[in-house]
Amino acid sequence: MIEVSEISKTFTSSSRQVNALDRISFSVPGRDFVSIIGPSGCGKSTLLKIIGDIIEPSFGSITVDGVPSREARLKGMFSFVFQNPVLLPWRTVIDNVRLPLEILHRNGRDASALLDLVGLHGLEHQYPSELSGGMQHRVALARALTFDPRILLMDEPFSAVDEFTRDILNVELLRIWQEIGVTIFFITHSISEAVFLSDRVLLLSGRPARVKQFRSIPFARPRDNSLKDSQEFQEVVKCLREDLG
Amino acid sequence: MFAGRPRLATVLIPTVTLFALLGLWQLADSLFQFNRIILPSPAEIGAAFIANYLVLFKETGITLIESVAGFLLGGIAAYLLAIAFVHSRTAQQAIYPYAVALKSTPLIAIAPLLVLWFGNGMLSKVVMSALVAFFPILVNAVSGLSAVDREAIDLMKSLSASRWQVLTRIRVPNSLPYLFASLKIASSMAVVGAVIGEFTGSTEGIGHLITSSSYYLETPLMFAAIVMISVAGILFFWLMVYLERKVVFWQEPV
Repeated sequence: MIEVSEISKTFTSSSRQVNALDRISFSVPGRDFVSIIGPSGCGKSTLLKIIGDIIEPSFGSITVDGVPSREARLKGMFSFVFQNPVLLPWRTVIDNVRLPLEILHRNGRDASALLDLVGLHGLEHQYPSELSGGMQHRVALARALTFDPRILLMDEPFSAVDEFTRDILNVELLRIWQEIGVTIFFITHSISEAVFLSDRVLLLSGRPARVKQFRSIPFARPRDNSLKDSQEFQEVVKCLREDLG
Repeated sequence: MFAGRPRLATVLIPTVTLFALLGLWQLADSLFQFNRIILPSPAEIGAAFIANYLVLFKETGITLIESVAGFLLGGIAAYLLAIAFVHSRTAQQAIYPYAVALKSTPLIAIAPLLVLWFGNGMLSKVVMSALVAFFPILVNAVSGLSAVDREAIDLMKSLSASRWQVLTRIRVPNSLPYLFASLKIASSMAVVGAVIGEFTGSTEGIGHLITSSSYYLETPLMFAAIVMISVAGILFFWLMVYLERKVVFWQEPV
């Protein structure tokens, strides 16, 4: 259970104050897939970084199974996946995947097995520059999973790849998520992507961001791309779009 | 340009140019009979080289040792200072402006002072080389250690990485392309520094040989000495190019 209570964030620059987040509260049971959507620049990334305790909120608190987020971070419970894969070009694929284990001084999952899981069998000793954009994102995902994090924080993870590759990566992500059972927070600017992937969608308003809707997405799993053509799916997307606008 | 094995043409064509120019020079000399003290012919320079090759190699070796020692000293000091700057804004604000100011001071202006302080032996030349090598390396090392991907830092933060881990895993490797760009510049400048030091006051080294042969009007020897030290400088530079290709294998040279 992840509980976000009354999170506010104000950025202070020399000339003015900007309220980014305004009393955001919600809670999520473990192993859920939660998408966060909202107008661009509304503070989604800030919220994600506050959840993962890499920036501090101005007010409010976050707990993971009753443990404060600071402690959860120190225990290596959070794992980020960013818009760019952020691979280190001087390390081979497998050494990139093992980076978190080096930092945390921990024995995690077998890196080769993880590469198989994300569909990169036999590419251990390649360098990132030898891989396509989609493959680099797969490496980033494998790296995010090596140390068995409890919560995966994904900030528009596949937005830099083409739509076709993104659809494939999303389906793979669902498969992997079901296989290993982590909680995922997933920022996207695509409503249909959010509905397709999630158990719940958190809809934020424009600045300062407030919770506008926190709704469950009832479709059965496993889901595949044909779901997107169904009437019910379209209706949920429409309802969210109207609320976003 | 340096990628891959150098093709025959990239070596052959400049060599042909060299011999063509030397041939022209020799021809012009036999036609116009230049004064040897002003402009000796290639053949005379060659003869001076053969007659004095032991001295030439010894003196070039001394200057090269001074240059390399200064280069290493200046480089290591600059890199350590750059690491300090990246971790302490206060240190950077306190020292960086003066480092830049010192950089703008003409080196020749402080050479006599260095000879006064460190004597006319090798030490003053090593210090001189170190000073010239220091600044380009400092500036590039600071850029390279700082120009780290924001998201890479966030990734390390989310793993609760220590500053040491961020330094060794991210910042140092990230700085290497920048560092080697400056090492190539600094390698040539270190040789210049050592020679200027020798001009100012010395008993040995190629700079000393150049000044003393100018006193005795041994211009052919002077030319031979100039050729020796420029070849040594080029080899030093090429060593850096070679190391850059080996170390920074993941990136085209900056």
